[in-house]
Amino acid sequence: MPFLTYPLALMAAAALPALAAIYILRNRYRRREVSSLMLWQFAVLSREGGAKVNKLQLPLVFFLELLALALLVTAATGPRWQLPAHARPLVIILDDSASMLAGDSAGASAVSPNSPRTKAVVALDELLKSRKFLSIRLVLAGPKPRVLGSAVTTATEVREVLAQWTCQSPDAALDAAIALANDLGGPQSQLLVLTDHAPPGSEFSGDRVQWWAFGGTQPNLAFVNATRTTHGESDRVLLEVANYSASAVATAAYRITSGSNLLRSATLKLEPRARQRLILNLPANTPAIEAALDADNLAADNRVTLLPAVRKRIRVQNSLEDAALRSLVDKALEASGLRSSLSAAPEIILHNARATPAGTNAWGLRFLAETNAATPHTGPFIVDTAHPLARGLFLDGVVWTASTPGTNQFGLPVITAGNTPLLAVTEDALRRQQITLHLIPDRSTLTATPNWPIFFWNLLTWRARETPGLVESNFRLGSEVSVRAQTNSVQLILPGGGTRMLTKSAEEFVLEPETPGLYTVNAGNSSWQFAVNLLAPEESDLATAKSGKWGEWEKPEEARREYASVLWFFVLGALVVMVTHLFLVTHSKGRV
Amino acid sequence: MSTREHLLSGEALGQRYALAVPQTALAGTTGSQLGRRAGNSIDFQDYREYQPGDDLRTIDWGVFARTDRLTIKLFREEVNPHLDLLLDASRSMALENTRKSAATLRLAALLGTAAENAHCTHATWLAGDGFQRAANDMMLPSAWDGLGFASRRPLDEAFTILPPRLRRLGIRVLVSDLMCPGEPLSILRRLADGAAAVFVVQLLAQADTEPPEHGNVQLVDSETGEEREIFVDATVAAQFREALARHRESWDVACRQTGARFISLVAEKLEASLPALEEAQLLVPA
Repeated sequence: MPFLTYPLALMAAAALPALAAIYILRNRYRRREVSSLMLWQFAVLSREGGAKVNKLQLPLVFFLELLALALLVTAATGPRWQLPAHARPLVIILDDSASMLAGDSAGASAVSPNSPRTKAVVALDELLKSRKFLSIRLVLAGPKPRVLGSAVTTATEVREVLAQWTCQSPDAALDAAIALANDLGGPQSQLLVLTDHAPPGSEFSGDRVQWWAFGGTQPNLAFVNATRTTHGESDRVLLEVANYSASAVATAAYRITSGSNLLRSATLKLEPRARQRLILNLPANTPAIEAALDADNLAADNRVTLLPAVRKRIRVQNSLEDAALRSLVDKALEASGLRSSLSAAPEIILHNARATPAGTNAWGLRFLAETNAATPHTGPFIVDTAHPLARGLFLDGVVWTASTPGTNQFGLPVITAGNTPLLAVTEDALRRQQITLHLIPDRSTLTATPNWPIFFWNLLTWRARETPGLVESNFRLGSEVSVRAQTNSVQLILPGGGTRMLTKSAEEFVLEPETPGLYTVNAGNSSWQFAVNLLAPEESDLATAKSGKWGEWEKPEEARREYASVLWFFVLGALVVMVTHLFLVTHSKGRV
Repeated sequence: MSTREHLLSGEALGQRYALAVPQTALAGTTGSQLGRRAGNSIDFQDYREYQPGDDLRTIDWGVFARTDRLTIKLFREEVNPHLDLLLDASRSMALENTRKSAATLRLAALLGTAAENAHCTHATWLAGDGFQRAANDMMLPSAWDGLGFASRRPLDEAFTILPPRLRRLGIRVLVSDLMCPGEPLSILRRLADGAAAVFVVQLLAQADTEPPEHGNVQLVDSETGEEREIFVDATVAAQFREALARHRESWDVACRQTGARFISLVAEKLEASLPALEEAQLLVPA
């Protein structure tokens, strides 16, 4: 890359000798005959003039003009200057995944001196001692990349920002983080990735990226799955333990407790790369349970907390006229386990009327079984699979007989056969869902297929979702938690005891827990609790962790990027010189 | 214009003026004006006793008859006042690109004509390698000859080499740019010795009074040919003006010490400067 982008502009440098010629011609000695030199014998010579000189005497303004001209000519050539290493910004991408704390056998809160995070911090400190950068920015690569603080310049400031690098994420979106860092730092920036695994691909061709990994292959036992679901009147707990060891058979001692009560304690024997499930049935009223493995190389995946499954039941009023159909519906509702007794106003009313049923909070499911112009449909059925009611339905082989309504006057079709809507949903002014099902049961096979209870399960689940509170109580770290509340804001109590106020922006409050633990949501008089567990098999698998350095910041073929325009410097210098020139000319009273 | 034309021009100018003759100048050989002493004019002045050697023609025989004493009549002396015009013939008086030489010739012719108008005799001296009279200087200025400004010697040296034979009690007018390093008093004392009146007319060109424009200038001494390269700026210009003022002042002081009158003229403004000659009582309207 040449220093001068436009060498032809150097032709303008011909102005320099031209200026010099003007001054030399202007300042050459004019011969003048005088009557006598006696009047020129000064006792005191002036500062600049008067003395007999043998060399060319040029005023200061000439040199200022020459300098200004030279600066402008140089600026016109578009000069670019090679950036020194410390003149470029550094953007550091921090792998925030939990595996960066591997090697930590002292507990979740302490940082092991052997963990990749600790090694990365030490290496970064050494780098910052040996080199200087224009600015340093840090990007945290969790499930979503996030910029940490503002730009800093010193190692001390970097260490302060690194306090936010907690490594508790279930995943590290390094690609997205590198893209963000590239945008953040600009084309001149140098990127540094601090992680515990090798870069993707066989050959890493980092574009201004250095990839430093500090991980190491280690055996690890981890909970990779943990659920607690309703199972009739009791809860079923499923735990899955994995042995992420390349070769060794591992034994895993685990303990499941509920408060101070030990529910189960045993030792598992796991083959390399094998998983084993533990199933535990608990009474529904069992409070939160905690399962723990013995300490190993990664502490974050050795402990899970499971809260009782959410039991939301819906009050359904079955007002269908047809007794046979009513019986079929009742069976399906009971089979779902989500129907409660009708102790208060119904939340769903099943009816045959064309009018919308009364009740401010009741959804309606209308069965239309008119036999006029009834047509049996065997498919193909067009199903809006994204609709909550259609989830899990499989209608192949089903005979669905329904009358042809002519025009669709019942809302958005969810299931159609040809141009005949079979299932349609509309939302009324009170935001109640009004569902219309065209079905002649005695001429259809739908009620005899699994689709029948599935449909009602979907209906009750959908309705349950619309009631305040949580749908589930146990979540994986990184997943979104939806909370429906009547209030406009809720208070979230974090595992560490901190609180955060959330304001409603949609129908639901959507939370993104960042750390494992127990969370509490307070909305007015209501309060709900949910648990978040790491459960990240990829992070628990330390067999793929590696150490090494890949990539270079400076490549010969990228030399163009190592230059920066310094045109502004020359233009600024020319302006300063011209202002000085103007000042001298206006204030010197002819002495220059 | 040629020398002759300048002389004619000066002569024309001089027709308007007459030389102002002071009383002390009325001492000279027989002439057209009555002197202070006894002479040969017809104007009776006094009697005195005869002394051997007196012209017998002046014996008043009537008095001798009455008193038997030889008494002679004294008549007022009839004198012609004289003008000695001393012109600086150095090269500086013909400074290039100026009207200095022309003005010198015109001024000399003017003074010569004024002297004629005042019935004065006059002589014109050229200060070159010593003082020498100009040819035909007794005649009208337009007839003068041999006027040139080519000498490389300064004025004071001319006095040393060959001083002028100046008439006693004459009016002496020195026309020069006075650009000579010599002491003014030494020159003025020579001029003032036996003179009825001495006038020093400093005739400078405009270029002699103003420094060159700012910048580098190679100054060449018109008489010696010496060169001096100098960068003229505001300071130098001011110093030049101060030096010129000091030079004039030194001549003015010296003139006052010797009873001479100092007049400074600018060649390019000669006609406008003539009133200064009247103020100095060198000229009077004819």
